Amino acid sequence: MNDRAIQDALIRALADAPFRTSPDWRDQGLADPSRLERFARFLARHYYYERLIHFFKYSRALAKVTGRTPETVLAGTGFDALLGDLVLGSRASAIAVARLAADHVRGGNGALDRVPYLDDLVAYERAMMVVESGARIWNDGTGAEAIKHQWSAPIRDEGTMLIDFAYDLPLVLPFLLRPWTDVPQPPRQQIRLLFSRSPHGRVSVARTSTAIDTLLELADGRKSLEDLAREAGLRPAELQATLEGLVDIGAVRFSHGS
Amino acid sequence: MAQLMVGAFYNPHLGQELAQASGIDHLAMADPPRADDLWWPRIRERYTLLLHDYLGQLSEPLDERAIARARSLAELYHTPWVAEHFQCLHTEDGTYNLNYVFPPLYTEEFLERFVANANALQGRLDQPLVMENIPGFFDVKASRMPEAVWLRRFFERTNAGFLLDLPHIWLEAHYHGVDPKAFLADFPLERVVELHVAGVEPDRDLEGPWIAPTEPSQEMLDLLHHAIERCPRAQAVTFDAFSPSLSAEVLQRSVARIRAAL
Repeated sequence: MNDRAIQDALIRALADAPFRTSPDWRDQGLADPSRLERFARFLARHYYYERLIHFFKYSRALAKVTGRTPETVLAGTGFDALLGDLVLGSRASAIAVARLAADHVRGGNGALDRVPYLDDLVAYERAMMVVESGARIWNDGTGAEAIKHQWSAPIRDEGTMLIDFAYDLPLVLPFLLRPWTDVPQPPRQQIRLLFSRSPHGRVSVARTSTAIDTLLELADGRKSLEDLAREAGLRPAELQATLEGLVDIGAVRFSHGS
Repeated sequence: MAQLMVGAFYNPHLGQELAQASGIDHLAMADPPRADDLWWPRIRERYTLLLHDYLGQLSEPLDERAIARARSLAELYHTPWVAEHFQCLHTEDGTYNLNYVFPPLYTEEFLERFVANANALQGRLDQPLVMENIPGFFDVKASRMPEAVWLRRFFERTNAGFLLDLPHIWLEAHYHGVDPKAFLADFPLERVVELHVAGVEPDRDLEGPWIAPTEPSQEMLDLLHHAIERCPRAQAVTFDAFSPSLSAEVLQRSVARIRAAL
């Protein structure tokens, strides 16, 4: 095993609680287990602190009326109970921590009276945090390895989410982060939002259209572009433009050649 | 010794206070400015800005995207130097990421990797590169030489500048049960361009002190005073706190106390 592989094992041990207790790791005897465990727990709290601060920033801005700041959960017994199972960056861990924060924010006394869209808001924030999880590309390599799409059979990325909301949240979000006295309110109007993440880790939220909904439903990695155009009722140029947008935000990838 | 600048990190939630503050010479930029940051134009106009963003880990070559980003930020800030860390925090395949500074193994293989990739990066930058030391909370048996030796050899082969993080030195000394000033003596202080100073607080997981967005202790300021006399090329001292929980009062008082300690 070269030094880079040893470093990878060390990073995994710090990030992956079940691996940390496995014979595969322990038998290597690379570091004092107690010290490593303490540092791993410190890292886990830091890792999810950064994510809750970022993805739950709207709930945080509402804390003066809900009485609940999302990151508070990291100091609680609920988070401590997760520590033995957490894998930093995994979807399952993101779901578990986001659920803790969402339940905490929703649990404030009378919060829903003053923020009737609070359920929608925490669902939005949870989706942002969950869709961000997963392995990502840190390095594109040198120029010769640049990604080239072969426009063959598009497939919806497994992390992509479509969620319906009862309130038009995107209209209110910027106002929550500015100074306010009365709680900003969004229009009560049903919308569907698409949550996705690019291979490099950029999270996007977009309003969907009938064309996007249909494409995401049909993009199973087996249908050709011609099949998709026919079934979605789109002209080739319209199909290509929509697909390019979806590929750019990571909602769709290609089953071959990308 | 050149004229020393004393500054802090730009914390966007303190944008208004920083835009109006006095006694702060520079701001280090840990993140690019947000599009909705109303104070950024005044901050940019008023301060010397130091690029201190995450550019990438030099255990691997930076790709064109990362280099273009570094160049673009350096131009935006008119930074006098570009800072990166001696860190290796994500696996080579991208599956695991600690999202926190973490040092590489101090071995020949990692030295070769960091030297080659730092030299390649320097060839693409218009500003000097400075590299920051990172603390280890525990020893790793696969490391083959002391951190100070590894760093000295790196600087000899790259001619990069040294960003000396004093709290990192203090923490390593603390967890190894040695005197911080004695621990510091082995590091290549003649290479230091910038120093970081910060506060430490008890951490429940570590069961001991760690970096926190609080004022530096008198002991830390004494260590700064001791170090700065041994860093003839130092140009800046930065209060290293970047957190939504940092208050303007703590930031401004810390900068003033750092200045008084020099």
